Amino acid sequence: MSSVVTQPAIETVRLTKFYRAGFRMKRVRALVDLNLQVEKGEIFGFLGPNGAGKTTAIKIIIGLAKPTQGFALVQGKPPRDHRVKKSVGFLPESPYFYEYLTAAEFLGLTAQLSGVPRGELKPRVREMLKMVRMEHAAHIQMKGFSRGMLQRIGIAQALIHDPEVVILDEPMGGLDPIGRKEFRDIILSLRDKGKTVFFSTHILADVEMICDRVGIIVGGKMVKVGKLSEILTSEVESIEVTVRGALGKFRKALERVAQKAIESGEFLMLTVKDDEDVERVMAIAREAGAKVTAIVPRTKTLEDFFMSQVKSFLEEKGDV
Amino acid sequence: MFNRIYGVAANTFRESLRDRVLVALIVTAIVVMAGAKVVQPVAMGEADKIIKDLGLSAITLFCVLIAVLVGGRIVYREVEKRTIYLILARPVRRLEFILGKYFGLMAVLVLSLLIMTAGFYLILLISRVALTPYLLWAVLMTAFELALLTAVAVFFSTFVTPIASAVFTFIIYFIGHSTYLLKQLAAMSPVPAIKLLGIVLYYLLPNLGNFNIKGDVVYGVPLNFPALGLAALYGLVYSLTLLLISVIIFNRKDF
Repeated sequence: MSSVVTQPAIETVRLTKFYRAGFRMKRVRALVDLNLQVEKGEIFGFLGPNGAGKTTAIKIIIGLAKPTQGFALVQGKPPRDHRVKKSVGFLPESPYFYEYLTAAEFLGLTAQLSGVPRGELKPRVREMLKMVRMEHAAHIQMKGFSRGMLQRIGIAQALIHDPEVVILDEPMGGLDPIGRKEFRDIILSLRDKGKTVFFSTHILADVEMICDRVGIIVGGKMVKVGKLSEILTSEVESIEVTVRGALGKFRKALERVAQKAIESGEFLMLTVKDDEDVERVMAIAREAGAKVTAIVPRTKTLEDFFMSQVKSFLEEKGDV
Repeated sequence: MFNRIYGVAANTFRESLRDRVLVALIVTAIVVMAGAKVVQPVAMGEADKIIKDLGLSAITLFCVLIAVLVGGRIVYREVEKRTIYLILARPVRRLEFILGKYFGLMAVLVLSLLIMTAGFYLILLISRVALTPYLLWAVLMTAFELALLTAVAVFFSTFVTPIASAVFTFIIYFIGHSTYLLKQLAAMSPVPAIKLLGIVLYYLLPNLGNFNIKGDVVYGVPLNFPALGLAALYGLVYSLTLLLISVIIFNRKDF
């Protein structure tokens, strides 16, 4: 067998989008030379602050908008290709559905439009309602649904035709902690089935828990793409030491050792850089007759990384 | 393809049926038709004609209102509420979407037309007016007129707000019923530019007078069937052309 080059599930090449906005039709740059590759079978987190261009990029990948320059490919084909659309599931940001339809009617419609055979419609709708735990609301018109309920129907409609590539725009919006947990489980189960999941978010905890790789977009530019394990080395960045008790004159000495000291009631929380400093803090505390109640090593979080990327981008632009 | 057009159309149909505006318009139409009965005692033998004439006019007017009010927002609302994302992200061509919307609305109009016509005949029956199927020709021609007008409404709905679309469609409706004035204008005006404009508009705008045979059927004038067939064909070709232009506009659109 000849070697098969596996094509990425999603690829964008120098994707650029300008649009005109406002009364004076000012040209706004939404995306600038965005290069992106999402491999088959991975969970890719598309991260960025509000207004970074995440939704614009997704709309082009879905075929709802055309790029000004560059192009997007999904499974090696243009987004508006019929075969591509059959294998893509999409959940828009804060989705709005036909409120006069019941949940079951709506899912039936989306399944039909996605080419699910007529005979399979009903069982598929039932299966999806069960998956998102909305069976109780199957025959209720959606006008009374809460944000969380709509979001559940949203994921159900995105998965109803068993797509290979699933694109979710801010899927965790409007969900409570239990809903988010269920949502994460659904996304992880998609990976187990070999599906590709591409989702945008500005909530970092979600990404940290489930993504294989992330791309960070700021101001329409991709500033970083990589494996989470590479971005977030397990290297300890700092150690937090909490000291309890009256310190008196020893307090100054402690603060000199620490990079940062925060007082809260009878606790003093110190951030130090390494084990040696921890030893020093413990020695001083012992001398003062105070207790060390906690020592917590801090690794670099995605948040730290994200904030530093956003900040350096803005500095480059001269906004800060 | 037909499966998807049918899906969009069935959804549009269902949406409209659950819309109170539709029910209100149908009920009002029937009430207006029944109102003609009050003239019966004073109309001195002309009452039959008045009831028939008013009834047929009410059917046309209220169906036009449905086409304009419901049709004017039919595409725009999907864009505004962003429900269109969920449809166009699926293997649904934009052509299929527009046609589905159009046929869904036409199904609503045909149903409304049938209900109103049934109401009309019921009123004729109650008023002891001799029932004749001859009047149905006028209803049939109204259906072709509605097909054209709905295409106009969908066309506007692809790029302007529902209110603007309703206003424009109404304007087209009124001009469409008096296009002969444009021809007269062209004939009478000494200015070549106005002459040209009159002629261009005369041929460009839909000639809705072709579909109006209410007077003929009420007064029992023999109908010119070849002309009616031609008018029906004209309506279909005109509608199809407008829908194709709508699709072209829609295809270029970013959402």
